[in-house]
Amino acid sequence: MSLLNVSDLHASVITDDQTQPILKGLNLTVEAGEVHAIMGPNGSGKSTLANVVSGRPGYQVDNGAATLEGSPLLELEPYERAQLGVFLAFQYPVEIPGVSNMEFLKASIDSLARARGEEQPNTAQFMRQVRELASSLDLDPAFLKRGVNEGFSGGEKKRNEIMQLLLLDPKLAVLDETDSGLDIDALKVVAEGVNRYRSASNGVVLITHYQRLLDYIVPDFVHVLSNGQIIESGDKSLALELEAKGYAWLT
Amino acid sequence: MADLTLPAELATPDWLAPTPNAAQTPLPEALHRALNSAAHRERWKYTKAEVFLGATHTAANLPQISGEQQPGIDLQQTTKPVPLVGFDLDQAPEAFARLCYASNILTIDISAPTTEILTLVHASSTVPVLIRVAEGASLTLNEISDCDSDAQQTIWIDLAANAEMKHSRNALDTAGAHWQYLNVRLQRDASYRLHNHVTGCASRRQDIHVLMDGQGAEANLISAGSVEGKTALDQQFTLEHRQPRGRSQQTIHNIVANGGKCSFNGRIHIHAGAAGTDAQLANRNLGMGEHATINTKPELEIYTDDVSCAHGATVGTISQEALFYLLSRGIDQGAAQALLSQGFLRQCIDGPLAESALETLIGGASVGL
Repeated sequence: MSLLNVSDLHASVITDDQTQPILKGLNLTVEAGEVHAIMGPNGSGKSTLANVVSGRPGYQVDNGAATLEGSPLLELEPYERAQLGVFLAFQYPVEIPGVSNMEFLKASIDSLARARGEEQPNTAQFMRQVRELASSLDLDPAFLKRGVNEGFSGGEKKRNEIMQLLLLDPKLAVLDETDSGLDIDALKVVAEGVNRYRSASNGVVLITHYQRLLDYIVPDFVHVLSNGQIIESGDKSLALELEAKGYAWLT
Repeated sequence: MADLTLPAELATPDWLAPTPNAAQTPLPEALHRALNSAAHRERWKYTKAEVFLGATHTAANLPQISGEQQPGIDLQQTTKPVPLVGFDLDQAPEAFARLCYASNILTIDISAPTTEILTLVHASSTVPVLIRVAEGASLTLNEISDCDSDAQQTIWIDLAANAEMKHSRNALDTAGAHWQYLNVRLQRDASYRLHNHVTGCASRRQDIHVLMDGQGAEANLISAGSVEGKTALDQQFTLEHRQPRGRSQQTIHNIVANGGKCSFNGRIHIHAGAAGTDAQLANRNLGMGEHATINTKPELEIYTDDVSCAHGATVGTISQEALFYLLSRGIDQGAAQALLSQGFLRQCIDGPLAESALETLIGGASVGL
């Protein structure tokens, strides 16, 4: 059974008074242990795919299905998908003043443990683990007492997403342009974190504009998304070809 | 609309002579005029003034006091003249009436920097309190309301040059019709900080009037309120900048849920000549559940150039973006909403009374996290 299976997915974005179709019959299969890079021009539907899989409000599924290890995802509430093992690394992580990072992470890890019938981790141990993870991603552990993402630079917000990825250890990680706005040093830290997360039992969908990230996170497959469908798939050499030629030769 | 009238005959106390506005007209007449002015009606638009005015002459006790046994503090129960410089009859006729009805008042004089916290606990209506902090002196004041029926408390604070005061106030009780009047006057370079933590009760009214009456004075008002169920809170804050280079910052967060009714009026008045003033006010209201009523009104009066002034009032619900962020991490809807509403209030909970405020307002401090 595939880790993620998306079949014939049609989805629209809901704006004030209308719906606009974005995904128009998308198929994607991710097996455990694989990293799939999704590339494509602006407006092709990359972020919509991430948002529909994770359940962000404002989208409507018109047709098709998505399953995680065979369990249908699209009917579930966002928190239920997360409890099943879906993780979205946000393109624009949200600032939440008044809720400390530590409190947020504890609430998350406790919810996941409860949903899976596992024991909630001991608080002291948990806090030590989080501090170590933060340090390993060049995040000052002092930030853990501050509000979620409050006053973080763009790079710090992205590293915080990766820290959550490592802490929550989901089955499927969907990274939505995690490389955007990062300088080369931050990019390496993020990539190193993703590589640390990779294992034979989980999968990664890596949405990116640029080939650069793929120098550090080497994908097993590269897909080109255009006008709501995957129009080309290949190995990592496809990304290099796209870098050289742009998207025009495909579309 | 029937005129508001004083509940009992009122004699002008001797000490009132130096107060402006009171001298020209006989006091009962001046009060009657002030009570029935358009400005007064506007201030009491959302809360019935009759109930509060009618109780201004009822008997009052001393608050329970602790921390007064330290060098630099002198307490007196007194009837002797206590001029209240800058106190405006038209602005607060009820408070004026209450002061006149009182057979005595409590004066607390602070003559030096104090180290221990002075605590006042109000279990009922308490006598008017006047706190004077001398030049260069400092005080940390905790004020706790612990009433289960109608109650009124009136406090005047006068901060001399370079005086400093940190004031924490918890009004988390289940009083009936509860009125707290607070008047703070700051002279040159004085600083005042208020942490106000409050819940709704049958009808809770908080009037705060801050006078920046000296150059370079600094005031910081931070308030967190929760108005849940069939309770009401009406907050009327007035901040007057009368002298140059004052800085004031007011941050008021209120959650109103399930039938609660909350009113906030924030008036900033920058007088002519108060150049270089920096005045900021932000009132944010979060409506939750069914039938929350929120009235908020910013008021700005600026009579001088060269000021920096920002005044914002918002009424909203929980941010959907923030909610989705928490949901996407596996936190269920109810827990995520609770985290967000707690975070909204926690931003305005601080100071020595924070712990009990956290306990009552958001159900615990999540210690250590």
